[in-house]
Amino acid sequence: MFSLLQIAVRNVLRNKRRTFITLAALLIGVTVMVSIRGTLNGLQRSLLQNVVKGQTGALQVHRAGFLKNVLSSPLSLDMPQDAAFEAKLLGVKHVTAVAPRILFAGMVNVADQTIFLGVQAVDPLREFKVVPLRESTLEDKSQFASGKVADAMVVTDQLEKALRGANVPKDAPAAILAPDKDGALSGENVTLTGIMKLNMPGEKKVGMVRLDVAQKLLKMEGRATEYILAVDDIDNIEQVAADLRLALGKDYEVSTWEDVAAFVKQAMARQSFILSLVAAVFLILMLLGVANTMLMSVLDRTREIGTMMAVGVRRSKILGLFLMEAATIGALGGIIGGAMGTAIVLVLHARGISVTFPGSNVPFTIQPFVTPGYLLAVVSIAGFGALLFAVYPAWRASRLRPVEALAGG
Amino acid sequence: MALVQLQGIKKSYQLGKTEVVALKGVDLTIDKGEFTVVMGPSGSGKTTLLNIIGCLDRASAGSYKLDGEEIGHRDFNDLAEVRNRKIGFIFQNFNLIPVLDVVENVEFPCVIRGENRKVLRERTLKIAAEVGLTPYLHHKPDELSGGQRQRVAIARALVTEPQLVLADEPTANLDSTTADQIIDLMLKLNREHGVTFLFSTHDPRVMEHARRVVRIHDGVMADGTEAAKVESDRLHAAAVH
Repeated sequence: MFSLLQIAVRNVLRNKRRTFITLAALLIGVTVMVSIRGTLNGLQRSLLQNVVKGQTGALQVHRAGFLKNVLSSPLSLDMPQDAAFEAKLLGVKHVTAVAPRILFAGMVNVADQTIFLGVQAVDPLREFKVVPLRESTLEDKSQFASGKVADAMVVTDQLEKALRGANVPKDAPAAILAPDKDGALSGENVTLTGIMKLNMPGEKKVGMVRLDVAQKLLKMEGRATEYILAVDDIDNIEQVAADLRLALGKDYEVSTWEDVAAFVKQAMARQSFILSLVAAVFLILMLLGVANTMLMSVLDRTREIGTMMAVGVRRSKILGLFLMEAATIGALGGIIGGAMGTAIVLVLHARGISVTFPGSNVPFTIQPFVTPGYLLAVVSIAGFGALLFAVYPAWRASRLRPVEALAGG
Repeated sequence: MALVQLQGIKKSYQLGKTEVVALKGVDLTIDKGEFTVVMGPSGSGKTTLLNIIGCLDRASAGSYKLDGEEIGHRDFNDLAEVRNRKIGFIFQNFNLIPVLDVVENVEFPCVIRGENRKVLRERTLKIAAEVGLTPYLHHKPDELSGGQRQRVAIARALVTEPQLVLADEPTANLDSTTADQIIDLMLKLNREHGVTFLFSTHDPRVMEHARRVVRIHDGVMADGTEAAKVESDRLHAAAVH
């Protein structure tokens, strides 16, 4: 067995031209597979970061039933916004920061324009601790975040354009109108200080005000409708969710980013599925290439096979020899292709790829990466796949009759 | 003592829809240590006969005993074992493995049967020296002349210490000087190692050295080989002394 492997490896290394032709197909296939997977890994990590650190936080806490009615932004399903409640949240292991929000639907009015919108009311400094990427989406963060303008409001540029119709002066006063907690229409003056960019697809007509403005408008002093939470490591998220549920009881619901931004998870699953499909096609094409060159090799080496049979090599050993040669080429292709793919991924990681998601106007950088597990899988698939696709050519070689093989087929 | 005993060996092939009869009942006995030539025109069945004696093919009917053992009906793997242990081959086209160097080609039949590498290497070097290949041990076949390649094939045939060496037109692709050297080498090995040689050839020089010539025609053995044997014995004695 060992000597057969030695012979197989020696044949592969010495038949440079034949080996190169077979390897080329494998190398290209494996390199492309690793590069695409690496890029997708980077894309998905960025997507995740963008969501978790730019919008949803790792976890969210609401009153039970809130998410079911989220479209109506129910103010009745609220919770305390105070030190005692926050201490309870921060007391759970791995939770590093919390921030309160009120989500409500209302209207914004400038001059003669009144437009419906969704509003997020946040405590800027604490918000940016949980979702730090969000800070960069605010065009005028100093005024909004610092509190220099107490009634500051930022809106999306779509909304801004709609509000600032012809002849509306830049500093025209604005007001925000919404039904308060008791259902009575309420209004507050606001100052439009800037534009907020969206880093996720979804509703385009949204705005952001400071939490205290909303609490006053909605008569919800000391209350909030959601808390967003940051954790030290995203991998702990399920554990943290379970601990929070235990600490808060059945009056509250705890959601992970996956629950809140299900479409992101679906998108990631769809991307992975498409990649698997592309990879499978690539794999089959490259392995068909291997099978083809192995068949050519059997034809090319008919006399050699006859000689081996003449000196007493059994059919099973001929079969084994060709299979081992294929597996050796497969493993070589996997290892070298894996290394080449990794090199490409590392270069791309160092340089970064700048992209903007559809439905978002915040560009960000993808840093591709591959996991050792994936590399191992690719090398194994290349090796075993080459072995599998060499079964027929190897069988053909082993079934040759010595007399005919010696005569060159 | 008889090494090869053939009785009533028949061989027929299916060529499309017609059946071609290559051997029509051959009886032949070859003693140990003989240096025998099989001769006959093209299509006479001599290569078929050598293939059957070499266990590369099986007879359709008849009995084949090698070293007293009936092997005519053994299966493919058993025959591979017999070829590996008892028979060496020298081919007209040398049939060396192109990616292996001289030493590796010579050792190949023993490597696949898992022999101890150190012992094998010693034996290989000795045989290589005997056939005059010492300066070319690490040359590849395509770096060697025809005569040198045939020496490699001879060394490969002998390294397994076989009882029988079959040579199918071994000098057909060589110039006359080289052919003479190869014939002399095989005679020397026959004498010194006591290995039985069986040739098929058209080459009159090989026949000159043969101690026995058997003739085959249309798949049957022709009579009258004794005279040739006596004649070749005389020539052989003259060559030796």
